[in-house]
Amino acid sequence: MTPRKDTVGRKTTSIPVGPQHPALKEPESFTFEIDGETIVDVIPRLGYVHRGIEKAMESRTYIQNLYLAERICGICSHSHTTCYAQGVEELLDVKIPDRANFIRVIIAELERIHSHMLWLGVAAHEIGFDTLFMHSWLDRELVMDLLELISGNRVNYAMNTIGGVRRNISDDGGQKVKDSLADVEERMKHYVEVIKTDQSIRQRTKNIGPLNCTPAADLCAAGPTLRASGIARDVRKDDPYAAYGEIPFDVISYDGCDLFSRTLVRCEEILEAIKITDYAIDNLPEGAIRVRAARKVPEGRVVSRLEAPRGELIHYCKSNGTDTPERYKVRAPTLANVLALGNMLIGGNVADIPIVLAGIDPCFSCMDRMAFVDTKSDKRWTWTQEDLQRYALKC
Amino acid sequence: MLDTVVIPLVMFLIFPGVAFLLAMAFFLEWIDRKTVARIQRRYGPLHTGPSGILQPFADFLKLLQKEDIIPTGVDKKVFILAPILISALPLTALFLIPFAGPSALVWFEGDLFLIMFIFTLIVLVVFLAGYCTTSRFSVIGSSRAALQMLGYEIPMGLAMIGPALLAGSLSISGIGQWQMDNGIWTVLLQPLGFAILVTCMLAELEFVPFDIPEAETEIVGGWRTEYGGRKLALLKLGHDLELVLASALITALYLGGAQQIWIIPSIFVFLAKMLLVTLLFSLLRAVFARMSIAQMLSGMWKYMVPLAIIQILLIQLGIGG
Amino acid sequence: MMMTENEIVESLKESFGDKILEIESPRERRIFSRIKQEDLKKVVAFIRDDLQITHLSTITASDLGDEIELIYHFVYEGAIVLSLVTEVPMDEPKIPTIVDIIPGSQLYEREVYEMMGVVFEGHPNLEPLLLPEDWPKGVYPLRKEYDLEKLRELNKDDTA
Repeated sequence: MTPRKDTVGRKTTSIPVGPQHPALKEPESFTFEIDGETIVDVIPRLGYVHRGIEKAMESRTYIQNLYLAERICGICSHSHTTCYAQGVEELLDVKIPDRANFIRVIIAELERIHSHMLWLGVAAHEIGFDTLFMHSWLDRELVMDLLELISGNRVNYAMNTIGGVRRNISDDGGQKVKDSLADVEERMKHYVEVIKTDQSIRQRTKNIGPLNCTPAADLCAAGPTLRASGIARDVRKDDPYAAYGEIPFDVISYDGCDLFSRTLVRCEEILEAIKITDYAIDNLPEGAIRVRAARKVPEGRVVSRLEAPRGELIHYCKSNGTDTPERYKVRAPTLANVLALGNMLIGGNVADIPIVLAGIDPCFSCMDRMAFVDTKSDKRWTWTQEDLQRYALKC
Repeated sequence: MLDTVVIPLVMFLIFPGVAFLLAMAFFLEWIDRKTVARIQRRYGPLHTGPSGILQPFADFLKLLQKEDIIPTGVDKKVFILAPILISALPLTALFLIPFAGPSALVWFEGDLFLIMFIFTLIVLVVFLAGYCTTSRFSVIGSSRAALQMLGYEIPMGLAMIGPALLAGSLSISGIGQWQMDNGIWTVLLQPLGFAILVTCMLAELEFVPFDIPEAETEIVGGWRTEYGGRKLALLKLGHDLELVLASALITALYLGGAQQIWIIPSIFVFLAKMLLVTLLFSLLRAVFARMSIAQMLSGMWKYMVPLAIIQILLIQLGIGG
Repeated sequence: MMMTENEIVESLKESFGDKILEIESPRERRIFSRIKQEDLKKVVAFIRDDLQITHLSTITASDLGDEIELIYHFVYEGAIVLSLVTEVPMDEPKIPTIVDIIPGSQLYEREVYEMMGVVFEGHPNLEPLLLPEDWPKGVYPLRKEYDLEKLRELNKDDTA
């Protein structure tokens, strides 16, 4: 990324953040060029969690790929399978039952709630506010329990299949979800209140990591990061999929263009997601939850999009008439926001690195999905000897 | 023999000397961890001893057994000496605190200055401890520790001077004695000074919101990054002793010291007060987010220093003095 | 006022005529349009400046055997996906960069460069992004000539 002009030529120190660093919950490397406490350049080095999923998908059947798509990401696993399944369904020209669409929405929104609560905890930890971190993660457990209740799994729910969903939601289960979410809603309202009023949180987030509307659009940012820069884009609203066309909800956006706005956007999205889930449970249509789909997919291509917790997720599938795809492409929202990171960080403070990095809610395994690694030794250490020496001696 | 050797030896080594102080250090760490955990809806230490009370000691023992590593490229002398100094300095300062009864183990007119000097010295050692290694996290952490000291040292000094002016004594024991004689706690006369001292002590202890030198998410372990095994154990012990020192000093200067209430021996009264101060620290550290170094410095200079000066002026004008 | 997909199709046809080789809208909010690679920059500049389509979602590259197919997925107002399809020959995979028009395309171009070996001429920083630093030169894993077995073999060699 381009360093600021007035600092070019001055002697700077470089700080490595990653591949192993407490601020990053997954391995990824960012090298920061520092002048005093000011950041002058950011060099991202991605790819530490490449698993070659795109390549692997080309040699597996459509049903096998469903489970592979589930494992692109640990947090937004349902988003990836939904995106995959709806793409393949479009190629097959299968219309799935309404009930399945609603169940997909319910799971997607529960996933959004737990993902945003996870983010809230991580963000609080990054600014040293561990109390909020512990509280939000404890409350997140309520949502995790609900997901386990419905799907039997806490993380990879395995709810989707081509042609619908695999598990039904009973009336009793629906009621439990609503009851639990009422508690979560109450807690979240309290947290929003705390975030809005607490001086020490405001100090660390107001006007930090600025990303104005124009660069946000130019750099093709997505999701809550974009919505906190005043651009109300949400695939659920703009390009409705599943049952979102029938469910009333608001797109949350703030125009503070800073971390404070990003925090508020996510917190209020949780409240909105709770409303959507309640509505979907109340209006759950009767009927089947899946239809049979053919194994062989006719030739064609499709672009499938949806709003994952972190932003716009886009899958592209090209089929060739067999039972394996010709080409499968995944673009996770984090990659869209990495460029914007540079914009947010350059000119900022070292102390703000962790929280600004966390501010886009990075999910590196989503982003890095597509190289491939030997199945036996899947770890690589890309530091050269020279790097190590430099790291050890030069300071 | 008994009077000149055995009793002083027992006093220095056991009560209220080294053994007692170490026990206090582990106990207060447990109190702090448990309180913060409960505020955060966690359990905290649970299994070692009743309610996990022995956990800090167990941690200490475990660290002692670990392999002792000296990384290549560090300044060996400083690297070895720093942990020892960091635990020895607060221990030394603690001998100046009157735990039981009116006077401390060691006291002289002017020991308040010695305590201030030791506080500064601790930060200096911290700075060296980080700076002698080659890790950039340590270097940044230690320079932050030094920068932070520039912010809180002056208000902290001024807040300690307040009670001295009041009592007309430059000795901690003397200040405690004055409060006992007059039957009043300094905190009632100088609440502002008390608040400033508590805030500055949070910074000295590197507690949230002033845990800037060891901000985990920014600079990993801060100035401690390179230390492990025995050395880390000593650093942690040093930190616990500092916690004892901070709460004991605040008790002695502002909360009436070791007075006897009814038939409760003075030592228990003192410990109860120390416990309250520790609880206050834990509470404060649980409810804030970390500040950035610039915010901390400007906050200290913009608010704490003027407020500390106002407190001194008020005393000079006879209010609270 | 939001354009519909038909309006986008019409305005593209009007401005470029024969240069649009194919254009179709398989369903609502989806457009696929095939163009020649030499017209790419003009078309991208047009859709950015005249149609106000600023968001590039990603660039997909797929191996067609003799050619590499590049698909630029643009999104209009968050709703309509306009996929510009173009091909570059496999023996000389070169195409001008669009970073100067859409700055957000930087990482996507690097990704395609590294996985498919398409050179984006004029890209400010066309370096590997995702693969390890000691990755053999000239091996582009998403090309069909490298099947999983071959890649595993390669990987074994350089870890040994």
